Amino acid sequence: MKYKIIRILDVAGLRVFEPVVLLCYGEEPREQLKKIGLYIVIPILVMVACVIAWDLIGPRIKTRAGEVPTPAQVVTAYDGIADFHKREYTKVADYNIEGEKREAALTKTQEEIAALETDWEAIAAQCEDLLESLLAKVPAEAAAKKTEIEEGWRQLVADLKSDQATATDAARRKFAYVEGISAQFVSASLSKLSDAVTKQEQVYKKDQQARAKDLVAIAAKIQADDYKQKVAYVHQVNDHLAKTGQENDHLKSLRAELSERRGKSLPQVEDLRQQISKTGQKAEFLATRVNLLTDGNRQQKIDKAQAEMEDLKRKYAVASGPEMFGLAQQLIQREERINTIATSEFAKPPTFFDQIWTSLKCVFTGFFIATAIAIPIGVFCGMSRVFMASMTPLISLFKPVSPIVWLPIVFFIVGAFITKPDEAWVQPSFLSSAITVALCSLWPTLVNTALGVSAIDQDHLNVARVLRLGLWDRLTKIIIPSALPLIFTGLRISLGVGWMVLIAAELLSSSPGIGKFVWDMFNNGSSATFAQMFVACGFVGVIGLLLDRIMIVFQRMVSFDGAPTGL
Amino acid sequence: MAILELDNATVGFGESHRRYTVLEGANLQVHENEFVAIIGFSGSGKSTLISLLGGLVLPNEGAARFKGQQMSGPGPDRGIVFQNYSLLPWLTVHGNIELAVKQVFPKMSRSERRDYIQHYIDMVSLTGSEGKRPSELSGGMRQRLSLARTLSMQPEVLLLDEPLSALDALTRSVLQDEIIRLWEEDRRTVVMVTNDVDEAVLMADRIVPLTPGPAATLGREFPVTLERPRDRTTLNFNPEFKKLRNEITRYMMAINEEAKQLRVASELVLPDVEPIRIGVA
Repeated sequence: MKYKIIRILDVAGLRVFEPVVLLCYGEEPREQLKKIGLYIVIPILVMVACVIAWDLIGPRIKTRAGEVPTPAQVVTAYDGIADFHKREYTKVADYNIEGEKREAALTKTQEEIAALETDWEAIAAQCEDLLESLLAKVPAEAAAKKTEIEEGWRQLVADLKSDQATATDAARRKFAYVEGISAQFVSASLSKLSDAVTKQEQVYKKDQQARAKDLVAIAAKIQADDYKQKVAYVHQVNDHLAKTGQENDHLKSLRAELSERRGKSLPQVEDLRQQISKTGQKAEFLATRVNLLTDGNRQQKIDKAQAEMEDLKRKYAVASGPEMFGLAQQLIQREERINTIATSEFAKPPTFFDQIWTSLKCVFTGFFIATAIAIPIGVFCGMSRVFMASMTPLISLFKPVSPIVWLPIVFFIVGAFITKPDEAWVQPSFLSSAITVALCSLWPTLVNTALGVSAIDQDHLNVARVLRLGLWDRLTKIIIPSALPLIFTGLRISLGVGWMVLIAAELLSSSPGIGKFVWDMFNNGSSATFAQMFVACGFVGVIGLLLDRIMIVFQRMVSFDGAPTGL
Repeated sequence: MAILELDNATVGFGESHRRYTVLEGANLQVHENEFVAIIGFSGSGKSTLISLLGGLVLPNEGAARFKGQQMSGPGPDRGIVFQNYSLLPWLTVHGNIELAVKQVFPKMSRSERRDYIQHYIDMVSLTGSEGKRPSELSGGMRQRLSLARTLSMQPEVLLLDEPLSALDALTRSVLQDEIIRLWEEDRRTVVMVTNDVDEAVLMADRIVPLTPGPAATLGREFPVTLERPRDRTTLNFNPEFKKLRNEITRYMMAINEEAKQLRVASELVLPDVEPIRIGVA
């Protein structure tokens, strides 16, 4: 059992966890603990240290899309992506749902909408709490101001009552009021700072004027031929200018601080704002669901259209004369419409996970094209020196060509073959990305296959000769099995390269996939999408890692002792 | 008639301007059901000789004949047991034999073939290791597997290329007995290359020394007339065995010494000069 687990770990390329298994079996605990410390705990600590460093450094880097997001923001962004995914799929399900299930879902959704009411009320209560805590800080001498604010609040509450405002409306209006008040508080709390800045500004101005006056006075005393004095004077003027520069810089930084602090609202206000937007999104989503479960539902639409059709049919049955023409036309149109509805799907925008799936399909398409080209050519290269000699220039020439160059070329060529993208069996952008992946990733497999085939043991070939194996048998029974470990080394590298190239290709060609997701987020350029780009980056890394691990497992499975190792 | 015949065969490698002649003018006749041992120092071209007999290498001059026919290539009728086993590392014990059996007896049914392969696995005492790969076997087991694979082809001539040189002394003697037993069972023609005089005397009907290379050739033959079965424990005290062994060893030492001298003479040509003493009459 123990050795079985270790063997599985070995094949999966997870040998780091071997000491854990051995520890569970109580084998040399000290030794195993030491190994765990060295190879598991230390790497984890390094990871944690990196995350902490990111958390500290990130917010200090200011970009035009806001600060670099912290790990916490990235996690929130991921939640947003996952929520979006879940909601879109719920909508699709709602559109397709029929019969009793639909009614059950509708009841449940309506219950959820009712439950939202309490959420809004909670937000309104929080607004009130915030206002109170703000008012508590008002100094005694500003009592008039305090009364004024309280009066405003009472007025708002009364208005809401007379308007019979919904809970949503109430929460939003209360928040708007509190937000305005808090902004006043922020600027009031900054008045001291702003006064200080103005004062400093005046002090500096006065100083500078005084210095300039002094310098003018000194200049008046210097003789026209006193060069020594003149040189010293230049130094003095220089000092004056340098000091002025320093003072201006100081003022600038003070002003920048002031404007930054003015722009920032209180954290409680930010929190409330986010709560409102989140709850608002949820409300919107639930409303859409209700629509999709009632009028927007496919079966409902069909039922309705069929009822109308029945009406028409009845009318047509009793109709006579020229009105039959119009009715017949309507009948045919209705029938067509029902068919369109019956085959329609809910138009869902692709979510992040759909994009990942598309990317995976694309990378594997490209990878299989590459494999189908590279392995046969590699085998021929390894078997025939002439073939190798004739392929070498081509390989050396095209191997270093970057995906950025391949993509537009492939794009044009694919475009020439697929002139009507809407009717084609495959999207041209998908195909050109896949072909670009293939063109960039076939080289490692080709080179490794050629190496594996040409490095075959002469003894093994002698066995084939003694047995008088034919070309096909020699290929399938001796040459390919012998080269398989190296072929898989090549495939593993190819898949890694392909995955890397694919993201770039998608980004450039706007073909659906993770690359396009990143590109869209980049073009959005807000701080929320900035964090989503980090999420995408993490997913690209994790998927790349998994693909590599899978290939390692395959490679280990076909390996035998003494097999040559890869390039 | 000789089943295997070398007629003034010469084998060399490399291009003409730096040609290396391994065998020169080798003559050998192997008769049916005979056990011939070829004995030689390392590097004297023993493996080339076996390749030549097996048809893996064709003579540049002279002829190599099998049953009177000029050889054009190797075949399963001349089974070679290679010095380094030449097992396919990605196949199991069963698979390695199966590869040969499938090729040589394509008409055999599936179950028949399984029994046939099992028979050979049992014969070399590898029962229980059918599913193992060569890397999981010991040196002796690998050599036995190699032997079983070759025997399963039912070759007319068995060519053994130093089959036992990589093994320890105990395994070696076990396998020696095994080979003799198999040979005695169905009396095939065997040519074995070795560097061990005792082994050669113990096993062979006839011993042919190979002179040290380059340009090695086959020397004087020594027939072994010892009674079979030969018992290794008592053989050491047999005067005939001792005599034969000493004779062959002495011969081998002599041809080696001769070759060395030849080599020195050919490599170092000393200038034909004498010291001159000036001013002395």
